[in-house]
Amino acid sequence: MLRRFASNAAASLRSKDASFNAFVSFTDSPKTENGPLNEISIALKDNICTSGLPTTCGSAMLQDFRSPFDATVVKLLKEAGAQIVGKTNCDEFGMGSLNIHSIHGPVINPFRNDSRRAAGGSSGGSAAAVAAGLCDAALGTDTGGSIRLPASYCGVVGFKPSYGLVSRYGVVSYADSLDTVGVLAQDVQKVQKVFQYINKRDHNDPTSVGVRYREKGRVLAMESVQRWDGESLKGLRVGIPQEYFPSELTSTSSCILSSIRRLLVQLRSLGAFIVPVSLPSTEYALSAYYVIASAEGSSCLSRYDGIQYGLRVPPPPGFDLTSTSKIYAHTRSQGFGREVRKRILLGTYALSADAFDNFFLQAQRVRQIVRNDFDRVFSIENVLYSEMTSEESKVEGPGVDGVDVLIHPSTIRTAPHLDNVSDASRERDTIQDYVQDVLTVPASLSGLPALSVPMQTSSSLTPSPPGKGYQEQAGGEDKNRDGWPIGVSIVGQWGTDELVLRVGQVVERLNQG
Amino acid sequence: MSRWLVDGWQVIIGIETHVQIRSSQKLFSRAPTSLLNDLPNSRYNAFDAAFPGTLPRLNKKCLDLALRAALALDCSVNERSSFDRKHYFYSDQPVGYQITQHYSPFAVNGRFTSPKIGMPIRIKQIQLEQDTAKSVTNVRTRTSLIDLNRVGTGLLEIVTEPDFRTADQAAEYARSLQELLRAVGVSDGNMEAGSMRCDVNVSLNRPGEPLGMRCEIKNINSMKYMVAAIEYEIQRQRAILETPGHTQKVPQETRGFDPDGWKTFKMRSKEDAPDYRYMPDPNLGIMVLSEKHIEAVRQAMPPLPAATRSRLLQTYTSSGVNENNIDVLMNLDAIQDVSYDGATEDSSLGAVAYFELCSKGRDPKFVLNWIIQDLCGQLSALGKPFSSQYIPVAQMGILLDLITTKQMTRTSAKLLLKQMLVFPSDATVRRLAENMDLLSPVDRHPTLDDNNLRDICKRAIDALPSEAAAIRAGNENVMNKLIGWIMRQTRGKVDVSRTYIILKELLH
Repeated sequence: MLRRFASNAAASLRSKDASFNAFVSFTDSPKTENGPLNEISIALKDNICTSGLPTTCGSAMLQDFRSPFDATVVKLLKEAGAQIVGKTNCDEFGMGSLNIHSIHGPVINPFRNDSRRAAGGSSGGSAAAVAAGLCDAALGTDTGGSIRLPASYCGVVGFKPSYGLVSRYGVVSYADSLDTVGVLAQDVQKVQKVFQYINKRDHNDPTSVGVRYREKGRVLAMESVQRWDGESLKGLRVGIPQEYFPSELTSTSSCILSSIRRLLVQLRSLGAFIVPVSLPSTEYALSAYYVIASAEGSSCLSRYDGIQYGLRVPPPPGFDLTSTSKIYAHTRSQGFGREVRKRILLGTYALSADAFDNFFLQAQRVRQIVRNDFDRVFSIENVLYSEMTSEESKVEGPGVDGVDVLIHPSTIRTAPHLDNVSDASRERDTIQDYVQDVLTVPASLSGLPALSVPMQTSSSLTPSPPGKGYQEQAGGEDKNRDGWPIGVSIVGQWGTDELVLRVGQVVERLNQG
Repeated sequence: MSRWLVDGWQVIIGIETHVQIRSSQKLFSRAPTSLLNDLPNSRYNAFDAAFPGTLPRLNKKCLDLALRAALALDCSVNERSSFDRKHYFYSDQPVGYQITQHYSPFAVNGRFTSPKIGMPIRIKQIQLEQDTAKSVTNVRTRTSLIDLNRVGTGLLEIVTEPDFRTADQAAEYARSLQELLRAVGVSDGNMEAGSMRCDVNVSLNRPGEPLGMRCEIKNINSMKYMVAAIEYEIQRQRAILETPGHTQKVPQETRGFDPDGWKTFKMRSKEDAPDYRYMPDPNLGIMVLSEKHIEAVRQAMPPLPAATRSRLLQTYTSSGVNENNIDVLMNLDAIQDVSYDGATEDSSLGAVAYFELCSKGRDPKFVLNWIIQDLCGQLSALGKPFSSQYIPVAQMGILLDLITTKQMTRTSAKLLLKQMLVFPSDATVRRLAENMDLLSPVDRHPTLDDNNLRDICKRAIDALPSEAAAIRAGNENVMNKLIGWIMRQTRGKVDVSRTYIILKELLH
């Protein structure tokens, strides 16, 4: 009886999802333990290992793969009583920003059904599942923006915590030093609620940060929150990084700009201090990110050879069987999609002896400069580095002149039409997809907490009375003023996740305002 | 130096040794390490099989054993070191890379001294890394079977500077390194079982000229092969260099040793050398080793064999114990099973410790002879290796005291020892001796004196007239036959030296 009811629930979810393709598998009979998350239904990105459901990573390589174990985050959620409803679509191994590179097909953005738009990626299925109301919250992973970007496109809240807070054990690696598990939900409070149960030290993950650092970061965050929390935002210092308004943004998306301006005006009127800041290395961050992510990706994905598990494509009869790597090549050429193959090749090149210094090492140096940029503008010290013995790696922060959080648009555009981005038939310019990442990768390179909250877009506003503080762009016939959602990002110092989420709540309230 | 030249050629040899760390679990996974006779694919977990989502977790026990090796080889330990991925596609490496320490090994600049090599050998570095799986290729069916038991086992790669000049020095290094690593519990160093393998670099040059091009001979798994491989390589390279015209150069190659043909063969040339795409492992980050921790490892470390040897010599030479005796004693310890994870609280004492405890308040030379000749002799007759567990120190002490106080003859003591080894019992030594009627008559019947002994000796001479005649004729060796007869008759209860004297009197 209960079972029939349960599989009916799965069937009903399946039929509701038919037009979005957000899910790739459903839990037949979700079992829940008694716990604080009893009321919460949660979907998991399909690169998070579950013993009960397949874990495909959106790849032909793992199409029939079932993990022998549950990821630590899955275990924690189950223990807290959450109901795991299914696994969500994603770009293959998390590589992509539109969720169009998946063996399961593209995810359709559920925001409106009048046009077929991309949900964003790579956690597109998780964002869409939340946006369509198919679950209360979803876990995604963010390597260079893979949570914040689809959250922005689908109009939901997406949170990438500080690197090292949430266990990666059982999360299929794309780039180990960047991959971060995070939460997507309709509102910040729900994100917070789920996040607190997965924010645990895990000895199975060597990159899981120790309790001492977590506590130090939390204390610093709460000190900041206590300065301004209450009716007024007096005492909150918000930095606006000038480099996060690239030409792509200013030329095409004035509605994004005006929405941001409106938000800042509101924050200022509540007492927040708005400070223009500069993160000069931002322009190099994207290149460094793609070198590091691809290099690590080529390494992390070298385990897929068709021997121990997953897809195996045997070589044709008469093939030279003496070379192991040539035998693997059959499986790898067919098992990986275009985007993954492209990044593996790029990463393999970046690690080759001739290119290593100029690409990989250079990218690591840039990564450090990007980190230093952030440490320089935040008023809160980076607790991970403040105890380091080597003085040269320590950057003097601005102290009281610094800012508590940074605020900038999450993306440079609203969700693109799927017809314009699908590369099934013709070669298209994929550079745009990468430029999109420019606003999200610096926080990834630095392991900082970053939250994308839906903004109220200009077109959804009632015409504002003249004389208001923000300026409407002249010539209102902007092609991007399309009514599709856009997110605003709040970025904080490492470990100040609580602060970022609190500011996110304020922004959320203003947007609903 | 000239004494090492081979027809005017200077031979330069360096060695890289891979030793398996004697840990109960693997280097980065909690799967148990394996023995050769374990069923294939019975000792691995999801991490070892490179399942997606698994992450490495450094085994601290491996690290501490690695530190012991570094300290034993007088290395400086880097406070900060890191792990790197060495990428290649091969079936013995399911994850597609080996985790090793390419850029920043944990120990550098060591020194190894052995009196038998004659000069100190510089240790360039020691790195921690993972062992590979084993693939068994069937040429006929053109298939490979993969056994994951070994994959991920902790390995130390110990790299020397090119300081050796002869094959014998190289082999002596391997031998003493093996002894050293066993003594400090780092590895069992078993070459046959593959827990110690050597790669040897060999090059030739004329003295005063730049070093020649080196060839590396990979995966040598016996000392004999090492000597043979180096000697073959010297002759092979000489033949190239001495080709008329002297224009030929030795090509840089990686070679293997063929034990059937007793020669080296080319595996790949420099051009075929793979690009391993080394990358810092993003999961493992920086490994920090504090001075405090290193000191703790140093304190817990068993003494080095060289230190033990010189201490024993210093302590016991005056008692008549010689170098040979000590080598025999130490070899007993050297062949003991090495315990896992560097455990030293093992209940069984080593031979050295057993000897030292037994000789407290006794004559060390006498004690040592009993341990080496009698205890070990009888154990080896029973097909058993040395262990201090058969006869505890206290029991052995009483047994020895019964001899020195003449309550028991040597022969009786040997008999008793055998009895105790074959039929272990909880009874005290004295009780056992009484039960077997082995205590000297001197002890039990104070009246029994030289007269009784004289009677027995007379009976012996009567019983063995031809032997007695031979002794009278001057053949002293035959005396042993008479003594043997007396021993049998009295079940060894007589004092041999006294009997000898009496027999001599009676026969002259």
